[in-house]
Amino acid sequence: MPLWLREHRWRQTLTHVYLSLPLRGARATPGSIFCSERYLKVSIPPFLFEAVLYAPIDDTNSTARIENGNIFFTLYKKEPAMWDSLTLENADKEKLQNLRENAVLKAHEKAKEEREAKKVTKEEHKKYALEATMKLEEAERKRIEDLKEKERQKVTEELELWRKQQKDADKYKSIHKEQELHQEIGQSKGRKNEKMNKTRILNEGTSQTRLKPTKGRGSCSMFSQNLKEEQLPAPRSAATIKVNFTPRVFPTALRESRVAEEEEWLHKQAEARRTISADLSELEDLKEEEKNPDWLKDKGNKMFAMGNYLAAVNAFNLALRLNKNLPLLYLNRAACHLKLRNLHKAIEDSSKALELLTPPVPDNESARVKAHVRRGTAFCQLELYTEGLQDYEAALKIDPKNRNIEKDAEKIRHLIQGTME
Amino acid sequence: MSAAPALERPQVVSHAQQSLSYTVFDCKWVPRSARLLCLGSAARGTGVVQLYELRGARLELLREIEKPKPIKCGTFGATSLQQRYLATGDFDGNLHIWNLEAPEIPVYSVKGHKEIINSIDGVGGLGIGEGAPEIVTGSRDGTVKVWDPRQKDTPVANMEPVQGESKRDCWTVAFGNAYNQEERVVCAGYDNGDIKLFDLKTMSLRWETNIKNGVCSVEFDRKDINMNKLVATSLEGKFHVFDMRTQHPTKGFASVSEKAQKSTIWQVRHLPQNRDIFMTSGGSGSLHLWKYEYPAQRSKKDSEGSEMGVAGSVSLLQNVTLSTQPISSLDWSPDKKGLCVCGAFDQTVRVLIVTKLNKI
Repeated sequence: MPLWLREHRWRQTLTHVYLSLPLRGARATPGSIFCSERYLKVSIPPFLFEAVLYAPIDDTNSTARIENGNIFFTLYKKEPAMWDSLTLENADKEKLQNLRENAVLKAHEKAKEEREAKKVTKEEHKKYALEATMKLEEAERKRIEDLKEKERQKVTEELELWRKQQKDADKYKSIHKEQELHQEIGQSKGRKNEKMNKTRILNEGTSQTRLKPTKGRGSCSMFSQNLKEEQLPAPRSAATIKVNFTPRVFPTALRESRVAEEEEWLHKQAEARRTISADLSELEDLKEEEKNPDWLKDKGNKMFAMGNYLAAVNAFNLALRLNKNLPLLYLNRAACHLKLRNLHKAIEDSSKALELLTPPVPDNESARVKAHVRRGTAFCQLELYTEGLQDYEAALKIDPKNRNIEKDAEKIRHLIQGTME
Repeated sequence: MSAAPALERPQVVSHAQQSLSYTVFDCKWVPRSARLLCLGSAARGTGVVQLYELRGARLELLREIEKPKPIKCGTFGATSLQQRYLATGDFDGNLHIWNLEAPEIPVYSVKGHKEIINSIDGVGGLGIGEGAPEIVTGSRDGTVKVWDPRQKDTPVANMEPVQGESKRDCWTVAFGNAYNQEERVVCAGYDNGDIKLFDLKTMSLRWETNIKNGVCSVEFDRKDINMNKLVATSLEGKFHVFDMRTQHPTKGFASVSEKAQKSTIWQVRHLPQNRDIFMTSGGSGSLHLWKYEYPAQRSKKDSEGSEMGVAGSVSLLQNVTLSTQPISSLDWSPDKKGLCVCGAFDQTVRVLIVTKLNKI
């Protein structure tokens, strides 16, 4: 139960009510005072003072002063009238309760309104601050832009001035040149045995083969040009400098960022061509390049070209042991066998080559034509003309424009018809 | 970042631009004038030469000339100031020299190469340098040939691969060291990263190196002095600056390299009025302006007592992105400091002004 403070004293004027409340030692803070239009409460635990006021007051303007253990209230009356008493005496409990609750509600609402008002002002302030900074930045930017504009204009003006100077200079030069030209002609006419005359004739001779004389300003320049020309050295004697390039496999330009990729690619290619079965003991004797089927193929071709067919066959054999899936090796070995008249072997090799040259695409056309022709030749030499003709016709189907194959096919047909009769 | 110091750096100001209806491969200022040339390839497979004049903030088309084959590169380097003939290399390997006043028939013409001429340079003209006027062309057929306009049909020097050697594309050529009548040097860059320096006086290979990326562009800082610096740009956004004053017998020339951007650096061009400033153009449509600073001592002795060069350092002055497509050609005006033209693969040619170059 709170202790009621009842020793209050009050006096009033028409517009004000002055209330003083002794606190009996309790410490009062602004938070302990609760005031609304009709209700006043001071709560300092355990003390309590409340008053339901006789008439409404203007609580926003009313003040409370805490000093010397007393609280002095200065309340502004809403309606200037004299109050009979400070509080409503004969109010029943319910009314009092209602009034209290209303008071509290009103206070809450007021508080809310105040808060909102505060928020609104805060926002406005923020907006204002933002606008102010934006304006400042805008001003700064504009200043820089203006400086740049000024530069630009200055420079443009200078340029115009310079251009005009150029034009004037040109005009002046052309007039000057005309005068010089007249002078020169006058001078050269006057002297016959002078060196200048001789060189003029000489130079005129060469200049005709060199340039077409240009009109106007050009012609006067020809004279001064010719005079200068004898000071220019003769054209250099032609020579060639041979150049070596840093080797590069790829036709594209060199880029540092791609070097790693390119190295990897090359490495993989080399691996693919290298022998997988390196456990053949004889291969240990061979040099690195001799294990490379491509190199061996080239060697074989060279041997064939030189007429050394047995050596060529050897080379192809070794290459095939390293990599038995290269059709060109079989093809070239077939050609060697043909020359060596190992006809059955030639047929075998051409057949193997044809097998490997599937699928039949335009890329391996020429290889397939060769394979058919070689096999056909071998058959014919074995006098198996029908099989030979079959091969020749297959070759013709791939390459119909080849005259040699056509001629040979015709010959075989005649032969067949001849034997049949 | 405060604004005041930023504007003390050179600014690249876009002054004028022109949209073209063809692919422009090269753009060049006509010496002693405010006119520029654009060379390229039209959609129908013919070559185009357009002459523009800079008037105010616009480019006005003065002349348009059509040629049977697309044109890849051109130079004024080998003609006199009065004649101002243009030497061009085209996609077919032909070298022509044109008089722009009468462009129907070339003044000089030769089928110099079997494949496209990628790059051309001229020396001995325009009052710069001494000695005979010469033109060098580098082609996809792997050869570099030097021509004298007074000699028909045969080159005066031919740098070709050894018999049986597979060829590499030559992407760029440049003249240098033309400080008197006899001395001259040609530098060539290839797609496999080779850079080769040929001495024309002794007709020999003077130096070669490989910079590990295809070489897109080489240029000496000046053609007409004792060779001082060489800049070589390459794929992968790198460029190298070689100090050419001191050649070590085995190590060659000292160099410093920078990685400027992720994409190819298509061109390098030195400012004609200041040989330590150069601009590089990139595959991402950007331009970078660089300054080279010399080291305290340009050469030092190595352990065996032979002279070795010391490379300096390169600092970036400014960079700007103008386009989304590569800027393939770049040329400074020899008459107005800071004025330059660049052509990009978005079929636009832009005239730019670089300010504050006096303050560097």
